[in-house]
Amino acid sequence: MIMRRICYLCAVTISAGLFLACQTEPDSAELIDQMVVSTNYDPEADFTAYTTYAIPSDTIGFRSNNSSDTIITSPESTFPRHVLSAIRNNLEARGYTRVDRNQDPDLGVNVMVVNDFNVFQEIVYPNYYGYPGNYYSGYYGYGSYYYYPYVNTYAYNTGVLIIEVLDLRNRTADNKVRVVWDAYLGDVYSTIDRLAQSADGIDQAFTQSPYLGKQ
Amino acid sequence: MIRYTLLLIFLCSSALLRGQEKYIYLNLDVNKPMSNTAWIEDISFSAGKLGYRGFIRPNFSAGLDVGWANFDQYEPTSTKQNPTGAITTDYFHYIYSYSAVVSGQYYFKDEDEDRFFPYAGMGLGANTNEYVLYYNIYEDTERSWGFLARPEVGVLFRFTERGSLGIMAAVHYDYSTNKSEKFAYSNFSALGFQIGLMSMSF
Repeated sequence: MIMRRICYLCAVTISAGLFLACQTEPDSAELIDQMVVSTNYDPEADFTAYTTYAIPSDTIGFRSNNSSDTIITSPESTFPRHVLSAIRNNLEARGYTRVDRNQDPDLGVNVMVVNDFNVFQEIVYPNYYGYPGNYYSGYYGYGSYYYYPYVNTYAYNTGVLIIEVLDLRNRTADNKVRVVWDAYLGDVYSTIDRLAQSADGIDQAFTQSPYLGKQ
Repeated sequence: MIRYTLLLIFLCSSALLRGQEKYIYLNLDVNKPMSNTAWIEDISFSAGKLGYRGFIRPNFSAGLDVGWANFDQYEPTSTKQNPTGAITTDYFHYIYSYSAVVSGQYYFKDEDEDRFFPYAGMGLGANTNEYVLYYNIYEDTERSWGFLARPEVGVLFRFTERGSLGIMAAVHYDYSTNKSEKFAYSNFSALGFQIGLMSMSF
């Protein structure tokens, strides 16, 4: 009896261990609870020399492989106003003053979302019980049950929020401008709280860019 | 699916091998990474080993061992600077490791001993590691192969003199030439302790 209990205990322990030993991945909620924030800057730019900037108030750009839309606007979405407000607050805190585009700003701010829409399909072969399986459990015409395979279609969006700061003061003769600072925040589609995480990400982009500012 | 397959192999083999001089085992494996611990140093409890060993001499066996292990470690949010910028995120470091070795064991036992079998052995084979760095929806991966050497000491203990089932426990050290340039592994090594069920017949 004791041996049987030991065997049973060992079998349960091994089963639990083997279950844990399957190829695990991080918890998705933990993965997407904050955005990846990447920033780059032009080392030749003198950020203390700029004074003013221009930025839209309720519209951000949109690039997608699934939509012909080129902008996201308020009030269709609360996202643009929220994002633009967070950027403005950070630029003001660094000593820059917002002006209209026709007031010859030193800096221009482009904000856009680049969306990548992905689709993939898989063929599901139901088993004897009608549940999905990876094989045929019966052969048609030989007295066993047969369920026609069906196709599952999955689609998901990924997207990056891009903020670009352009040097409008030093435009070239043919009216070209340099990007002196940019920030990439992702993913903006897979989030727990998109607005809060976007605002946190924008704050972080400025925090990790201490060279930005009048001082 | 793999766990049920392995369990089925173990149960079927234990019946088929009855009366022959061989044993099979299915063990849980606990591993402590010993190389590049800056990337992963946490102990892994998510691993297993399955093996078949036949006695070719009264005190010597040879066989095949396969193993699998998942290593992981969380890196809290940090900002990494580069010459023209910075990146901030948290990271999940993972290694998915699979191994197969041909092994030989020497048993320190008397001829009339049939329940307790301490042994020392060596396994030689190969392993493949998949190194994965997860961050948000993104991931960087690298897979590589390496030669694997596995010295091992352990003990087999049969529950009863007549029964085939017993316990196996062993300590092993894995050294592999498995490299990852992306994640700074010049080799891969781990110290492990395994324990589980074995089925033996003499």
